[in-house]
Order: sequence, then C-alpha cells, then structure tokens
Amino acid sequence: MGDALISAMKTSASGLEAQSMRVRIISENLANAQSTGSTPGSDPFRRKTITFGEELDRMSGATLVDVKSVQTDQTPFGLEFDPGNPAANAAGYVKMPNVNLILEMADMREANRSYESNLQVVKQSREMISMTIDLLRGGN
Amino acid sequence: MITSAIGDSKALQAIQNTPVQPNGAEMLSASEGFEKILNGLGANAFEALRTGEATAIAAIEGKASTQQAVMATMEAEKSLQAALAIRDKVVSAFLEISRMQI
Repeated sequence: MGDALISAMKTSASGLEAQSMRVRIISENLANAQSTGSTPGSDPFRRKTITFGEELDRMSGATLVDVKSVQTDQTPFGLEFDPGNPAANAAGYVKMPNVNLILEMADMREANRSYESNLQVVKQSREMISMTIDLLRGGN
Repeated sequence: MITSAIGDSKALQAIQNTPVQPNGAEMLSASEGFEKILNGLGANAFEALRTGEATAIAAIEGKASTQQAVMATMEAEKSLQAALAIRDKVVSAFLEISRMQI
C-alpha cells in the first residue's frame, strides 16, 4: 500500500487512457459514417462500441479503469436509395452504416468531460503532494 | 533576524544543557545515518528521473502515450523535489551540528 495520492494519480491516469481510447473509437465511427460496401448488397461499416471495466492495481490495491472490450453495434443498417452506387442491391438500395452523428457527438462531449474531471483529480493530487513537500522548505 | 538569533541561542542552550555524553560510537552512527539518508535520496531520485526520461523518449518515438509520458515526468519531478527538500534539511541539520560549540 503506497502513497494514496500517488494511487489517485495512477487511477486518474488510467481514466485518461480509457477516455482517449473512447475518443479514438468515436473518431473511427465518425470517419466511417459514409463507408458503404463495394459489392452489390454488401454490408457497410458497422458502428463500434466501447465498454469499460474495473481493474485492480496489485501494487497499490487501487481500482483502475481499463477498456474491457470494443464490440460492434448490432442495430440494423439504414437503407438509402442510390441505384448508381456499386453497393446498391437489385432494387437500387444501399445499406448505410448504423452510425448516428448526434449520438457520436454527445458521446464525444461526455468523453471530453470525463477526461477533464480525471485531469482535475491529477491536478489536485499533485498540488496536495507539492504542498506537503513544501512543508520541508522555508522556515530555515 | 533578531528573533531567529534568539531562537537559535535558546536551542543551543537547550542542547548544551542536555546531559548527553556523546561517545565515539554514537558519533559514528549519526554520520552513518546522514550518509544513508543522502544515499537513499539520491538513488530514489535518480531512478525516478531515469524512468521519466525513458518514458518521455518512448512518447517522442510514438511508443508510449502522452498521458504516460506526462505522468512519468511528473513522478520524476515530484521525487526530485522531495529529495532536494529533504537533502536541504539534512545538510542544514549537519551544519547545525558542526557549528555546535564543544
């Protein structure tokens, strides 16, 4: 059992990493929001989802956060009428990725907020540690 | 300045009044204690600095994340600051003892 403030910083650091990964997944979803298949009737890009899970840090006993899994969203694809597209089926419909831009934006905002709060924890812990070290300074 | 001088002289009087008879063995263990503290501080600080530097270089090369680099660097900075603060304290304590009237 080490310094609790250091453990707090480590835990926040794992939160920062997890949220970074979340932003990466969101960016993949947004970048591929128009990625259709290339052969008639083929599936387009499927939206990715990310789940987090707790992870015990054996050194300090702190509960960190880690990316548990990156899976795919199983909601059905939307259909768009575009007969000229190489991915169009016999009726002229193209399957579009099941990415909802509004949802991704909201998710990104949440990732941003979560990242911010983890950063604040790092900042505060750091300040508390330096305040304690500063006790040794001065007064002589 | 005056108050600190008064404080010092009072502390000195207190030390002189305490009925301690320092023998050779005690003196030796005291200086060993100082040395041990300084050595330990140096080793810890250098270890933290080395880790911080290695992680920073890994981050520049793209092998480690920005978060890891920042954390390692901050850890190194904190260790160094703590080591310096304790070193200053230990050195001033040593000087205080060397200035003591015999």
